[in-house]
Amino acid sequence: MNIEQLRLLTRRHFFGDCRIGLGKIALASMLAGGSSSRAKTTSGGVNPIAPKPTDFAPRAKRVIYLFMAGAPSQLELFDYKPKLAELEGKPIPPSVVKGQRYAFIQPDAAVLGPRYKFQKHGQSGAELSEMLPHLSKVADDIAIVKSVRTDLFNHSPAQLFVNTGFSIPGRPSMGSWLSYGIGSEANDLPAFVVLKSGGSLSGGAAMWDSGFLPSTHQGVPFRESGDPILHLSNPRGFDRRAQRDSLDLIRQMNEKRLGVVGDPEIETRINAYEMAYRMQTRAPELMDFSKESKSTLDMYGVSNGKKKNAFASNCLLARRLAERGVRFIQVYHSGWDAHSNVAGNVKNQCGTTDKPCAALIQDLKQRGMLDDTLIVWGGEFGRTPMVEASAALGRSQGRDHHPQAFSMWFAGGGIKPGITIGRTDELGFHVVERPVHVHDVQATILHCLGMDHEHLAFRFRGLDFRLTGVEEHHPVKELLA
Amino acid sequence: MLFVIASIYIRWGKLVTIVVMHIHHLGLLIFLLLANWSGAADKVDFNREVRPILAAKCFACHGPDEKSREAKLRLDTHDGATRDLGGYAAIVPGDADDSELVLRIFSDDRTDRMPPAKSKKTLTEKEKQTLKQWIAEGASYDRHWAFVPPKGPAVPIAGNDQWPRHPIDHFVLARLRRANLKPSPEADRYTLVRRLYLDLIGLPPTPEEADAFVNDKDPKAYEKLVDQLLASKHYGERWARLWLDLGRYSDTNGYEKDRARSIWPYRDWVIRALNADMPFDQFTIEQIAGDMLPNATFDQRVATGFHRNTMLNEEGGIDPLEYRYYAMADRVATTGTVWLGLTTGCAQCHSHKYDPISHTDYYSLMALLNNADEPDMRVWDDATLKKRGEVEKRIAELEGDLPNQFPPAKGKAAKPIQRKRHLEKKFDAWLAKERPTAIAWDTLTPDHMETNLPKLELLDDSSIFSSGDVTKRDVFRLKFTLDPAKPLAALSLEVLPDERLPAGGPGRCYYEGRRGDFFLSEFIATIDGKPVKFADASHTFGKISIGSGKAHAKNVFDGKGSTGWSASGREGQRNQLVLNLADKVSGRELEIEMIFERHFVASLGRFRISATSMPGAKAQVMPIDVQTSLAGKDANAAIRDRLLKHFLSVAPELKTARTKIEQARKQIPKPSNTLVMLERPRDNPRKTHRHHRGEYLSAKEEVSPGVPDIFRPPSKKTPGNRLEFARWLVSDGNPLVGRVTVNRAWRAFFGHGLMRTSGDFGTQSDPPTHPQLLDWLAVEFVEQGWSLKKLHRMIVMSATYRQRSTLTADLLKDDPSNRLLARGPRFRVDAEMVRDMMLKASGLLSAKMYGAGVYPPQPASVTGLAYGNTKWNVSKGEDRYRRSIYTFSKRTAPFAAFTVFNGPTGESCVARRDRSNSPLQSLTLLNDEMYVELARALAREAERRTSNVEHRTSKDVATLIFRRLMTRSPSSDELVLMMNYQKTQFERLQKGELKASDILVLDVRRSKLDVRSLNESASWIMVARALMNLDEAITKQ
Repeated sequence: MNIEQLRLLTRRHFFGDCRIGLGKIALASMLAGGSSSRAKTTSGGVNPIAPKPTDFAPRAKRVIYLFMAGAPSQLELFDYKPKLAELEGKPIPPSVVKGQRYAFIQPDAAVLGPRYKFQKHGQSGAELSEMLPHLSKVADDIAIVKSVRTDLFNHSPAQLFVNTGFSIPGRPSMGSWLSYGIGSEANDLPAFVVLKSGGSLSGGAAMWDSGFLPSTHQGVPFRESGDPILHLSNPRGFDRRAQRDSLDLIRQMNEKRLGVVGDPEIETRINAYEMAYRMQTRAPELMDFSKESKSTLDMYGVSNGKKKNAFASNCLLARRLAERGVRFIQVYHSGWDAHSNVAGNVKNQCGTTDKPCAALIQDLKQRGMLDDTLIVWGGEFGRTPMVEASAALGRSQGRDHHPQAFSMWFAGGGIKPGITIGRTDELGFHVVERPVHVHDVQATILHCLGMDHEHLAFRFRGLDFRLTGVEEHHPVKELLA
Repeated sequence: MLFVIASIYIRWGKLVTIVVMHIHHLGLLIFLLLANWSGAADKVDFNREVRPILAAKCFACHGPDEKSREAKLRLDTHDGATRDLGGYAAIVPGDADDSELVLRIFSDDRTDRMPPAKSKKTLTEKEKQTLKQWIAEGASYDRHWAFVPPKGPAVPIAGNDQWPRHPIDHFVLARLRRANLKPSPEADRYTLVRRLYLDLIGLPPTPEEADAFVNDKDPKAYEKLVDQLLASKHYGERWARLWLDLGRYSDTNGYEKDRARSIWPYRDWVIRALNADMPFDQFTIEQIAGDMLPNATFDQRVATGFHRNTMLNEEGGIDPLEYRYYAMADRVATTGTVWLGLTTGCAQCHSHKYDPISHTDYYSLMALLNNADEPDMRVWDDATLKKRGEVEKRIAELEGDLPNQFPPAKGKAAKPIQRKRHLEKKFDAWLAKERPTAIAWDTLTPDHMETNLPKLELLDDSSIFSSGDVTKRDVFRLKFTLDPAKPLAALSLEVLPDERLPAGGPGRCYYEGRRGDFFLSEFIATIDGKPVKFADASHTFGKISIGSGKAHAKNVFDGKGSTGWSASGREGQRNQLVLNLADKVSGRELEIEMIFERHFVASLGRFRISATSMPGAKAQVMPIDVQTSLAGKDANAAIRDRLLKHFLSVAPELKTARTKIEQARKQIPKPSNTLVMLERPRDNPRKTHRHHRGEYLSAKEEVSPGVPDIFRPPSKKTPGNRLEFARWLVSDGNPLVGRVTVNRAWRAFFGHGLMRTSGDFGTQSDPPTHPQLLDWLAVEFVEQGWSLKKLHRMIVMSATYRQRSTLTADLLKDDPSNRLLARGPRFRVDAEMVRDMMLKASGLLSAKMYGAGVYPPQPASVTGLAYGNTKWNVSKGEDRYRRSIYTFSKRTAPFAAFTVFNGPTGESCVARRDRSNSPLQSLTLLNDEMYVELARALAREAERRTSNVEHRTSKDVATLIFRRLMTRSPSSDELVLMMNYQKTQFERLQKGELKASDILVLDVRRSKLDVRSLNESASWIMVARALMNLDEAITKQ
């Protein structure tokens, strides 16, 4: 029996023989990302890929969030401040610094000038660092925001804040909110997938947790070693037929029991097992890049001779997940925490990430998917205009954490391409034009997906929670196409 | 499960509830449930009908929060709503038409209408009518039911129905009758025995245990089994898990680095307390304030670990007091959820919009818990303590014997005499050599000590001890009186160990850096106001943790904050820093400023300052009193003895003899550690402030400790400290504790509480399904001495609990989620129980209890995803098969086989776990090597146990595998399915399509069994694995 026949077979008994009919609904809901009062079922209940209704017409169907963990230096990448070069070595006026707390440095630390040259690119004239040669080529496809700010100045809480809207673990992540709110188009894959490369992630697993939302909406991390999804492979000694035979026995036994006790939960479990089997059969194909053309592989820079670029692989995998309808693809790349030698850090990290990021935009564009895929690029905060140096730690020429201002870029579904918005002061210290709070960024992402961030709420312990918190925040309308 | 309940009030006084029900992944199922609320015929009920409308639509601007209150009008109290607003009032009780509220809500004028358009809230026609009718009927403000103490309601005896076995059943039956439903028949005995085992001890019965109950003819067999299980030591392991969910227990610190912590003695305390059936009031008091009880025992102090389970952010560069504040917020929230059933969290930022908890109330609650330090406590078990005593005795003996080990000089006299002479000779030579360079130190006692925050205390040996809160930049300022006749040549700073400090000190570092580390950035001295210039410095040991910097002694006067001295790695030991003045200076007053600054707390915990007039001082390993004695010309017997003792510890002649002592020192066993609360001393209380918008940096006025006004009858005094608060939580003053506690127990047995919105009994919550039963149980629980075992016994003895859990077509239609309890509970067991059940079925379950967390097998990639690519070193031997409650719990990478079944992360208090049913669970049970290993053991066990059955058939093996998982015997249909599967797989094995060696995971060449037997065994493993994946295998029914 080939896979196609097998799949037909499983589909048949899946959608056929349903004793009390609930299984059909269950399947639709499960494939759409699990339980939700917003779950929509069509006539007959069987449409596993039906997304749930949105508040208004969405501009993007899915998100690829390129999260640059550790906080990239905006001053070396997007926010060019020649004044810093002029003032290098002098302290920042206390009137600018005020009572700000820092993680490592003292507020009177001296100014450090930009380490790299900047140039204008594309018709839009976006000013980009020489460290971003590839992104520069697609400058007209992206929208840059130079005026993002956040509330936190330490990695773990700040990363949690961007990913979950709150600085302490326990709230649902953005991907979980979307899985809960609008379901998924993915057939044999989770609604929310997490990919990771680079060093350690400060925010940890709480960044893709479903918090108080039903746990079906939790992000599924693809593992860096072994099975990409835990326990995807059969145990040693079990071939495909043995697995199929076992599943058939499990199904038949469960059906017997269902006949006796009538609990629809058994039906749900039967379907969960079939879905698990389909994940097992489909995932290897997902992970197999052998059918990708050489030009595609080269464009991303998946490997440079023997050296593999894990971030590039993840970008390509993100595209493949996007093609298969995954709603939220969270790509983490860690390693931007430039407390020492910011120049070297930016050079290294750009060497790894610049090409794949640009390739993702181009690749989606040439496949006609950029229109309905939202790409977001950014870290958890910015870096100080002041230098970090510490004898005890052996650090020099670095930059500390800076929550007051940092840069992000957006591309694709719902985003106006080729624009730059927001401005910081001449020291790059404070935002002086069009401040964009992290909650505004989240509201914008939800908006592109057709969701009103004030409407997407969940009642937990007597309170209505939402991703963007209780204060007033808005989508950044200047960013919207 | 999520419920959205919309109530439609219909004129004839009946309430039609549309229940939009949604079972996990089951899509939407809409049905009507006709329910007749007794006693609420025509009059509007404030709590049930009016308050929810006011809370949802009005309180945001006219509620308890004075900050957001508009028009100075509050509608949450009778006084506020009826207040004279200048000739009119929002509510005129009994006169709807004269009430401004009615005019405004019915107004057609956009500008007049309430709620205003900008609020985006609107009232439905029905809601308006309800409000109007309520006012017309007198606008009575009944207290929210949950804030009124429960009074044991009369048991509604249901005629002479034979079904009820227990008062519980009368309440349930009365409710069922109103819905025209009947209870289900009692479950069969195999179902009952399995249900009881799983509920009371969290493990399934073996087939033998089940048969013993089923065949027990004693009419009291059920009761006997209940009592036997309540007395089982596994009872505590089962129920501790639920408590640890609330207590957010974990074996790591959380946040970024998520390093290991040692607080498992607290986990063991919970298991022991539950096994001993410690009354819940005592259980509460010891956990909240055990340290404050008179003559607090060791165990009572361990119990205070409950609120030490908060997370600790070890990320470099954080503000430690900010994260302490968040931990405090977590303690308030957790206390609110566990003992009050109230969400207090939102009052952190502003007065509660719905519930009567003001912004100040919140910080008053925090103040009750906020006056404690958070030290480690050493935990010595008897065996370790005994061993320590033995080793220490041996060391003392060896030290006492050192003079007898001194090599004798050559000579004719008896050996002992020669030995003594030789020792004295060498000792005198040593004295002669050391004396000229020895420094006489005067230990200085400060007249004045001040710091940015920590409290400094002078100890008897003139050393100074630091306690209280510490920061990333601590500054100590000390003033000393000098003798002008003794000009100053050098200063000595000794950093000293102390048991009370992390890792024994001398520093106070407790996160990010090495525990017990310190970092002295600058040492600044002035004499009579003039700066002292240092020329040189030395230390006995210098090393910096984290970073590549050098710990040169001179760093402390280079004027650079980022350089300094640290003795990292020498925790628990004394070290010395000596600073030599460029020129001798005399004066009357010496002032010393020490700055301890790093990107983490690196403050000093215990130290001593000394001064000398002698030139050439250098830091010495030799204790300062020995140095001074050496420098002295006269030596009385005591001093000479002290010097001799030191000589014995350094004499090269005794090097070999001392190795035994050094070896013995290494054998001193280390105690375990746990985290506790310790009330701060009276002279150093911690102040609590109100924080504007809940922000750490926006501390406002100081608040005094107290419980919220709502719980404070005017006559009664509020609790004023942690212990009084703990006692209040389990007193008459708290109307919620009984209800919340019995509701939690009910949920554990039935899958849902009588209050379904668990963790919230506030005004926004849905009413209980059985309000009277909830109150009856709450009162009974307290009257029966707060005994959890008695509570659990009551529940399982009821006929309600013993019902069959089968869902008939009618029940599926009328009450699919079993709100009315017309059937027994049926649901998938919790994550840990899934594994424990399989462990017991496989025969591998270890009976070992207590101790540090263990590491059952899981793929390396699970913790590989966590910060620092943490290793998961799989436990060996029986630790691999311990009960799941002993599994090491890592917050940022919890054990994957638990997470997938909704196990908690330990990051926050979990009052109710989600219960999902997902493909990832299927993959885990099918393919996780941990479970496949158990399948191998289960099959082996079944084959072994049937090996002496006469004429064993494959039926016997299949039945036993099935029964070890499901307890009951398989039906003939089921048996046929299993046998067919086994036969097919066996044939495939025989044909070589499958390899027995792979499935058995063994080298077949070394096996004594023939190929056929091996293939048979492999096929049984396949059967066992499949059966472990049945819905029934992981379901309590």
